[in-house]
Amino acid sequence: MIALKVHLRITLALLVGTSLWSSPCAVAADGPIRFNRDIRPLLSDRCFACHGLDQKKRKAGLRLDTAEGAAAADKDGHVAIKPGDLAGSELWRRIQATDPDDVMPPPDSHKTLAAAEKDLLKRWIEQGAPYQKHWAFEPPIAVEPPAVAPGTPVRNAIDRFLAVRLAKEGWKLSPEADRPTLIRRLSFDLRGLPPTPVEVDAFLSDRRPGAYERLVDRFLDSPAYGERMARPWLDVARYADTHGLHLDNERQMWAYRDWVVRAFNQNLPFDRFTVEQLAGDLIPGATQDQIVATGFNRCNITSGEGGSIDAEYLFRYAVDRTATTVQTWMGLTAGCAVCHDHKFDPISNREFYSLYAFFNSAADPAMDGNSLLTAPALKLRSTADDAQLASLAARTVDVEERIKAVASRTEYLDPAALTPPPVPRDLDHLWIDDDAPSGWHITASPGAPTRWITSSEGPVTSGKRALAREDGGLAQDVFETTDARVEVPPGGRLYAHVYLDPKNPPRTVMLQYKREEWKHRAVWGDVDAIDWGAKGTTERAHQGPLPESGKWVRLEFDAAKVGLKPGDKLDGIAFTQFGGRVYWDQAGVAGRIDPVNDPAQSFQAWTRQYEGKEPGELPAALKGIFKSTTATNRTPAQVASLREHYVAHVCATTRPAFGELVAEADAVRKEREAYDSGIPSTFVFRDMDSPRESFQMVRGQYDKPGDRVVRGVPAVFPRLRTAGTTNRLDLARWLVSDEHPLTARVAVNRFWQQFFGIGLVKTADDFGSQGQPPSHPELLDWLAVRFRTSGWDVKDLVRLLVTTAAYRQESRVNPDQLQRDPENRLLARGPRFRLDAEEIRDNVLFVSGLMDAQMGGKGVKPYQPPNIWEPVGFIGSNTREYKQDHGSALYRRSLYTFFKRTAPAPFLSTFDSPNREQSCSRRERSNTPLQALQLLNDVQHFEAARALASRILAEGGATPEQRILWAYRLLLARPPAPAELAIVRGTLDQQLARYKSDPEAAKRAVANGESKIPTAADPVELAAYTLTANLLLNLDEVLTRN
Amino acid sequence: MDPFLDFQRQQTRRQFFVGSGLRLGGLGLGWLMAGRGTQAWAAAAGAPGRIHPPLPGLPHWAGRAKAIIYLHMNGAPSQIDLWDHKPGLKEYFDKELPDSVRMAQRLSTMTSGQGRFPVAPSKFNFSPHGRNGTMVSELLPHTARVVDELAVIRTVHTNAINHDPACTFVMTGSEVPGKASIGSWLAYGLGSESNDLPAFVVLTPSFPSSGNGQALFTRMWSSGFLPTRFNGVALRGAGDPVLYVQNPPGVDPSDRRTQLDALSRLNHLGYEKFGDPEIQTRIAQYEMAFRMQTSVPELTDLSKESASTLEMYGADVKRPGSFTQSALLARRLIERGVRVVQVLHRGWDQHDNLPTALRNQCLDTDQATGALIQDLRQRGLLDSTLVVWGGEFGRTVYSQGKLTADNYGRDHHPRNFCMWLAGAGIKGGQVYGETDDFSYNIVENPVHVNDLNATILHCLGIDHSRFTFKSQGLDQRLTGVEESSVVKQLLA
Repeated sequence: MIALKVHLRITLALLVGTSLWSSPCAVAADGPIRFNRDIRPLLSDRCFACHGLDQKKRKAGLRLDTAEGAAAADKDGHVAIKPGDLAGSELWRRIQATDPDDVMPPPDSHKTLAAAEKDLLKRWIEQGAPYQKHWAFEPPIAVEPPAVAPGTPVRNAIDRFLAVRLAKEGWKLSPEADRPTLIRRLSFDLRGLPPTPVEVDAFLSDRRPGAYERLVDRFLDSPAYGERMARPWLDVARYADTHGLHLDNERQMWAYRDWVVRAFNQNLPFDRFTVEQLAGDLIPGATQDQIVATGFNRCNITSGEGGSIDAEYLFRYAVDRTATTVQTWMGLTAGCAVCHDHKFDPISNREFYSLYAFFNSAADPAMDGNSLLTAPALKLRSTADDAQLASLAARTVDVEERIKAVASRTEYLDPAALTPPPVPRDLDHLWIDDDAPSGWHITASPGAPTRWITSSEGPVTSGKRALAREDGGLAQDVFETTDARVEVPPGGRLYAHVYLDPKNPPRTVMLQYKREEWKHRAVWGDVDAIDWGAKGTTERAHQGPLPESGKWVRLEFDAAKVGLKPGDKLDGIAFTQFGGRVYWDQAGVAGRIDPVNDPAQSFQAWTRQYEGKEPGELPAALKGIFKSTTATNRTPAQVASLREHYVAHVCATTRPAFGELVAEADAVRKEREAYDSGIPSTFVFRDMDSPRESFQMVRGQYDKPGDRVVRGVPAVFPRLRTAGTTNRLDLARWLVSDEHPLTARVAVNRFWQQFFGIGLVKTADDFGSQGQPPSHPELLDWLAVRFRTSGWDVKDLVRLLVTTAAYRQESRVNPDQLQRDPENRLLARGPRFRLDAEEIRDNVLFVSGLMDAQMGGKGVKPYQPPNIWEPVGFIGSNTREYKQDHGSALYRRSLYTFFKRTAPAPFLSTFDSPNREQSCSRRERSNTPLQALQLLNDVQHFEAARALASRILAEGGATPEQRILWAYRLLLARPPAPAELAIVRGTLDQQLARYKSDPEAAKRAVANGESKIPTAADPVELAAYTLTANLLLNLDEVLTRN
Repeated sequence: MDPFLDFQRQQTRRQFFVGSGLRLGGLGLGWLMAGRGTQAWAAAAGAPGRIHPPLPGLPHWAGRAKAIIYLHMNGAPSQIDLWDHKPGLKEYFDKELPDSVRMAQRLSTMTSGQGRFPVAPSKFNFSPHGRNGTMVSELLPHTARVVDELAVIRTVHTNAINHDPACTFVMTGSEVPGKASIGSWLAYGLGSESNDLPAFVVLTPSFPSSGNGQALFTRMWSSGFLPTRFNGVALRGAGDPVLYVQNPPGVDPSDRRTQLDALSRLNHLGYEKFGDPEIQTRIAQYEMAFRMQTSVPELTDLSKESASTLEMYGADVKRPGSFTQSALLARRLIERGVRVVQVLHRGWDQHDNLPTALRNQCLDTDQATGALIQDLRQRGLLDSTLVVWGGEFGRTVYSQGKLTADNYGRDHHPRNFCMWLAGAGIKGGQVYGETDDFSYNIVENPVHVNDLNATILHCLGIDHSRFTFKSQGLDQRLTGVEESSVVKQLLA
């Protein structure tokens, strides 16, 4: 049923296509006929209804939509089309016939063929009646741009294609827009920002020929060009700063975003742009940048949800990467072929999985671990970083040499060598009992305060009180100090007493210790319930199941289990639980001083514990000594090295003397670590060492592998050329090969869409037979071929597009155009549309002077109302609470706003930004009341209005008229018309009067936002101008790229 | 959808806005001469036609339901402890779930490693309610009282076994993000009766701290491939109920009026200059925004509700962001012509400690749920409003983690779970579908999520198979590409 309905629809679509968009170019009387251009529309309109692919409607068993069908003989032996044989072709006879019973199309269809159309069919049959595949699967051919009537205002070849098409409607291109309109249009399109008044003046006064072209070149050279061009690409790449599923935690891959900006600014040719993103890692001798580029296919959404089945997610990731790649470069909806053969386009189910096999061996895991950096990730070290790290390493060596020198001179006596040996002694330091010790303070997790109970209220095992806490989720009491730190004694053990309520036991209990940082955790019960620290390390060490409930249990363990050693000074302990009701009491540190066996006192005891091992906490050189030698066969130099380390860093009696030197060494180490961890990393794409096998998944189910498949490309496309390998690099090079019919078309169409508002193929994401046919097929092909043969030069293409007469037209529309071409597909007028979400915000930041133009780096968090993240965030997600930034981070370009997929910033989602969960080639342009509310009331916009008002007052001249004029020129690059000036002036006067009568309101009105208000400003005047600025910033013309 | 029809629809919307825009613009100018004050404006403006018209040809027929309230219990409420009464399980306490029942079906990896699968009978009592003696858990006394209005489905099943894909599936008909949510589909197809409020409103109330709060995703109310104006608008429990509905400090409604009149006149000059109908749409949308600044606070102001109504919903009704208040707001929204209200209540993911936590969840929601049905009925709104209740999947009969006489947990179970429908178009007082003795497999009358959604659309006058939108090369449907069908037995 579905298939049938669809077939009908295709027929209808073709029908519609021919009547609206008749073939764009007259065929020369003797030139070669092309099926898609000349014949398919004819057959489709006149014949397919009865002789097409719809089996049910087919008459006489004849189909003309395939060469095979047209050449098949009917029961009487007639053949509709005999290639090259006009006389033997029944079709030719029938369309020539005059007998109403014989003639085709039949009279009751009310369709006829004109003489010229018959002639086309005749010549086609004579030329061998070649059929063609769907237009987009035939390679583009650049025809000579058509000639236009003299006096037609064309500027380059593109205009000639457009003008010829317009002439068919009796239309022509509109006159060129005025210069203020042009510079503002161009500035937004090439930089995403408005022009400055200085730029406007320069352009207006440049009367030499080529002023516009020079303007184009200046804008193309601006760094903001890359930011502007990157934005739509990041929609396609589905770039964001969080994983997207479940916890939706932060991920770090903004270096990929910055790479895209750089790639456009450096005018990286589009073929390299392609290859580097799909297979940069496989390029021999790949640079760091080329590997960063592979982030493209790490941008997909991932999950770390407990209980998930790995195979299912690995499958989904590979499907997403395949479908995204195919959609991005080939403009096809391969997703349909995940479950079955594509119903419309020639991608079989098996072929889909052959493409999928290129991506199915990705090295990243099924579960992202909710980590900032899910491997594989690349650390981005610059040469400056290398130098800095080398200098820090040298300082480390220097201080270590000095320590060694002092150590070699220090006297030390091993107690194990004494007779008689000293006697051992037990230690117990009761740390927490009944209350926080002096010098310590308690912080409770949000939700409920710390609660001490007495034995009349619940279980208490020691002293008078115990800690009690009940919670549905993660909760804790945290004890901290700055000066009364607790030292881990020799033979250090840690302990605490816990009582779990049998009626409401927790999922997990955890003891956490702080030694400058909270990195030492012991866990009982579900080790995953609280995902702090790396699991299985001393940051999250599992100690066993939950202790028995309903009784006090002493939890005691070696300090080493959580990475603590004797001598460490603890400045924090936390009693933590997930769920349930838990009581804590009597926590402390215990140990035993036994000088003979205490590694902190006896060199022999210290070395004994390491014999034959590679102790992780020791410097590499010392590790090697323990590994490769025994106590009996060490050289004196080796013993000396061990002793020097022991004396300086371990021995309780000698160590204090090294305090300053060790502190210096620690400081250098910390500086190095801090520097190193400040160097960002980014997600990159890499394959596993040995590839995963791929299978044709039955009906797209991850757990139903069918036949094994090997990497390959769909048969309808040119062959994949490989050199011994068949990998992503081959696939990427295939996409940008000369023969590929789609890549260049899809790319130029997306750029066209960017500058003209709508693609030559409106369905920019679907070039298949279900997509819309191009409005100007020959122009699309001409552009595609030119783009490829130019060396995939993006700036050259952009320059070509924006220097057309079509682009430079004025945008005024008349009712006739609106009626017949509401979407402006034919471009009888200049393109006019609302600015994108980011441009709207960037515009107000720019004109108000608030913008911080700093490029690149970690995503920032500007103003956002409360409860955007919080109501949807998962407890434990690190993007649950929105922590707004301050200072200049509030005013960065919108490209740099931290993008959380499950709750994008309102300024984005309200203005049609996709949520970046999947690839998006085309944004909507909606027009809603929520947009109005945001532009009027959002603190970001209202603050910008005030900042703009300050500028108007400071820079705009002395009189209200001068100031309004100045503001108009700033915002629209033009002066206001007298009527406009009068209206704005009237409102301004009303607001001045209103705030004069209520100065308190004025003070409140100018106090929005975090930026400074000029101290000299009169609040009444500033408030009135703020509302005026707010008004102007909401003008349709300001929100529109005209 | 064929390009002709698409174009027609676009034209319809455009022309509408052209009309209303002109009207508003004209009035704006006239009003300026008349004087100042929002009252005068409101009187002059009158009702400017429908801001959210339906698509041409929709609804396909006059559906019984004009509006829908969807109560989504996020995290998956335990069907065994609430609606699917299995008295025979007592005998199986702590016994291994028979292999013949489990049939080696897929488990979530949270319990797939478990050594045993001990049966955990519900510790809650069930008793018969309503005309047909429907068995309802003691945890839902208030819902039990309106059970004659409900069609309880015991055999809903889904494809997904984890929260994220299952929530996405139940709301959008697809496990993979990017599709349109059911509310967006309805707003897109049916528009809205209200000119002052969005067509599709979402509430995300708080939940008890004992509950395990899984994440919500905006994709559960997002328009996906549909135009973004069909996104659900989340009415927020804290801060402005609608984003940016409040004027900044120091700006009052008359300031805005002054400003919007000027804006309208200036934009009108722009329209004269450029002839772009989008300008008129924008003028109309600014006026709608201005009206929302009044209508939204009016919506959330409960002072005119009677004491008995407030009491019926429960004490929490005064607490912003509570489920109780959300339920009452749902009624107020429907009253004002909003098409779709979705309430997403979290905390239903009881992997452990189920008896305590589930009781708390029910305490948080049951009274207001019962009250909502009763309130709608009293006001005659239940005849035109469909109410849906349910989660994203069910829970296992076997205990996750340790099973004791008093305590147990349950893992995810996509094979069967309970939902109910009530109100317009629904035959109340029935229980539909049968599961086996362990509430583990469906025995009779399965209802796939797609079937459920087809049924919901049917109640609103929409044939799910004809309600499509072209995206990614496919005529997308809420109910997906595979065959699905309306469950006729549920209908009145």
